[in-house]
Amino acid sequence: MYATVIIANLGGRIDEYLKDQIRFDLNQRLRNDPAYRALSPENQTKVFNTRYNASLNARGLNEPFFQRTIRYTLEALTLQLGRAAKLTDTSGSPEVYDIIGERLPRTILLFTTASILSAAAGIWLGLVMARKSLSYFDRGMTVFSISTYVVPPWVYGIFFILVFAYSIRIFPPGGWVGVPAPPPGSLAYYGDILYHLLLPLMTVTLASFGQWSYTTRNLVMQIMDEDFVTAARARGLPERTVLYRYVLRAASPPIVTSLALTMIASWTGAIITETVFNWPGLGQLFWLAITQTDPPVIIGLTAIYAVLLVITVFILDLVYGLLDPRVKALRRG
Amino acid sequence: MPAPPPSVGIKEAFREAIRTKSGLAGGIMLAALIAMVVIVPIMAPYSIVKRWGDGQQWLDNPRYAAPVWSEWFTSKELPESAIFEPNDFRKIRINTTQFNLTFVSLRRSFTYTADVFPSELAMWAWATYGTGSTPSVIVTWIRPDGQEVEILNEGPQVRAPTPNTYPFSSTGQMSRSAQAIYNWALSFNATSLAPANSTTPWLYVKPEVTLFAVAGESMLDFRRAEVLKGEYAIRVELLGFTPEDDLDAKFIVYGTIFGLAGTDNTRRDLLIGLLWGAPVALAFGVIASFVIVVIQAVLGAISGWYGGWMDEILQRMADFLLIIPLLPILIIIALFYEVGIVQILAVLIVLGFVGSTTKVIRSLVLQIREEQYIEAALSYGAGRVRILFKHIMPRIMPYTFALIALSVPAYIFLEASLSFLGLGDPVLPTWGSLIGNAYSDGALFHGYWWWIVMPAGGILFATVAFSLLGYAFDKVLNPRLREE
Repeated sequence: MYATVIIANLGGRIDEYLKDQIRFDLNQRLRNDPAYRALSPENQTKVFNTRYNASLNARGLNEPFFQRTIRYTLEALTLQLGRAAKLTDTSGSPEVYDIIGERLPRTILLFTTASILSAAAGIWLGLVMARKSLSYFDRGMTVFSISTYVVPPWVYGIFFILVFAYSIRIFPPGGWVGVPAPPPGSLAYYGDILYHLLLPLMTVTLASFGQWSYTTRNLVMQIMDEDFVTAARARGLPERTVLYRYVLRAASPPIVTSLALTMIASWTGAIITETVFNWPGLGQLFWLAITQTDPPVIIGLTAIYAVLLVITVFILDLVYGLLDPRVKALRRG
Repeated sequence: MPAPPPSVGIKEAFREAIRTKSGLAGGIMLAALIAMVVIVPIMAPYSIVKRWGDGQQWLDNPRYAAPVWSEWFTSKELPESAIFEPNDFRKIRINTTQFNLTFVSLRRSFTYTADVFPSELAMWAWATYGTGSTPSVIVTWIRPDGQEVEILNEGPQVRAPTPNTYPFSSTGQMSRSAQAIYNWALSFNATSLAPANSTTPWLYVKPEVTLFAVAGESMLDFRRAEVLKGEYAIRVELLGFTPEDDLDAKFIVYGTIFGLAGTDNTRRDLLIGLLWGAPVALAFGVIASFVIVVIQAVLGAISGWYGGWMDEILQRMADFLLIIPLLPILIIIALFYEVGIVQILAVLIVLGFVGSTTKVIRSLVLQIREEQYIEAALSYGAGRVRILFKHIMPRIMPYTFALIALSVPAYIFLEASLSFLGLGDPVLPTWGSLIGNAYSDGALFHGYWWWIVMPAGGILFATVAFSLLGYAFDKVLNPRLREE
């Protein structure tokens, strides 16, 4: 966390930048002030310095850098996210909570839905591939899976926008609602959001399902060689039962782990994908915060991410106990 | 007790991997890429690429031109640029003895057969004249239907060797030419595209359309105008007042197709960018992946072999570095410090000195450690360092290679992502920066598909090549490499 604070402030460089900006703003404001211009040069400097120092004090920029980073870290850890330096939410509130709160649902809508879809499709496909292992279907899908999951979603995104939004013109090229938007809260409004959601959803799903199918396939194929599966088959259980009751159960802990971690990761959105689709989520917020140098927002995003990570890891520990009898036994022992 | 990893030599692994279909395909694709890397410096020397961002270098190319082969997909004939250099004009120069006048006439005729209008018209004129009075330069456009339009009549602004530039298609800059063309078109009762109350309706003229259109009502409307095919001519004249006065001209009728890969908004030949994208992507991907994976593998082996506090420290650091989001950090760094591709590489290596490979290799070494030949080596008194490098490293090398091949695409894409955001190398064109430029210039909206599809195709090609290779390695070496 402390490292994030340092990095987000770039070891003090951003502070210099902010100070410069304050100085510039102040200069502009005072220059347009007739009362200020009427003063003698010495008095002008005096007024300028007083106001400049007051601004620095108000922002807490005159503490030594080290103290400041400690303060930022403590605030972030206690989730006092404070106010953004420049960014606001659509209603104009500069509270980091408001900004993040406004955008989080959109990112969840897009990326979490996509994660669930791609995980479901990928796991199912992985199972089919493992069952028909080394067939042409399996080999083809394996190469397809490996090739698709290393490609980042924005590459597909650009292709899809080119094809579906501008050549065939069946989807909008980006955005969250159309312009002008239907009245918020109406059915048409949600329909519009859904319509804008489809293309990015397709993109993100395609970009991530390969990983699911490939890892599931490998996992399931390994487990299929284990003794207890052979034993189940020897008992004459139908293949479906073996696959779903025995193999999938044994394969579930790692699958659940990656599922949970993907969910968490999905909440941070994706910087470039959201930028390409102009999707006003957290990824785009991160990009805005970086390009407009808004450290409180960057720190806030990271703090929320860290908290979510800790909660997920904790829940995972509990879920493991339910899924894997060995873990339970370990605890009792 | 899991089975020990199979022991395969690097050479064997290579041979086996190439024998599989996917390995062969990946190998061939990679070979094609490498061949490209070798050819590139010959076809497009570095001196050209160094000036990639220099707009002056590309003035002769059309803007937003599609690749030449896109003509195959349409039934229309598309125009390529016609460039008339000073030597291409027929030049007549006459001095009158009586008033010391000089008359220079340049004429060039050409046949226009394309079904589509050219994209732009521009002229450069080098005028030599005395200090007294400024001569006038007159440009006349002569059409197949016998019409003659005087599209320029004004004195030059600068003396040779600096050329006067006349970008006829920028009607704002060349408003008098536009006005002349507009008035000429009005004599055919042409309907203007300008709003009725416009005081400068000639700014809506597209000279490259109107001058090439069948005369009539539609000639000012680029959507309805029809191309007049046949023999055109350009006449450039100068009337000067000293015997030394002279004139040379260069005229370009810019086409709509260019080269094998088309051009972008600043007329750059995308083929050069595409070709140079290959070595940049390959070098970045392979170096990053090689250095990072090898460092991680060595540290993983140390971690697994020595165990204890060293193991603990390395593993905790790996946990930390695995969890921090890499792209945002790189973005922040690239945004605030002027970084070239080499510095980005350095940051990547620093942030990736331990990671997933460390964990994979450590678990392999934990298994290898229990094997008998290691015990034998220990029993005859071999040092721990010696065993690590002599007996353990060779065993994990094939796995390391598979991991290198598999992680190359990720680094290629990382570089592409940064370049896409405009944070990559400031000088070299890369596939990512081509796509990024295209995106920010609205290529998607305008349908400049070549500008996006071809660099993206390059990235995908490289990715699939390495994925296939990695997959082939994986098949040879697996079974439990990808557990994690």
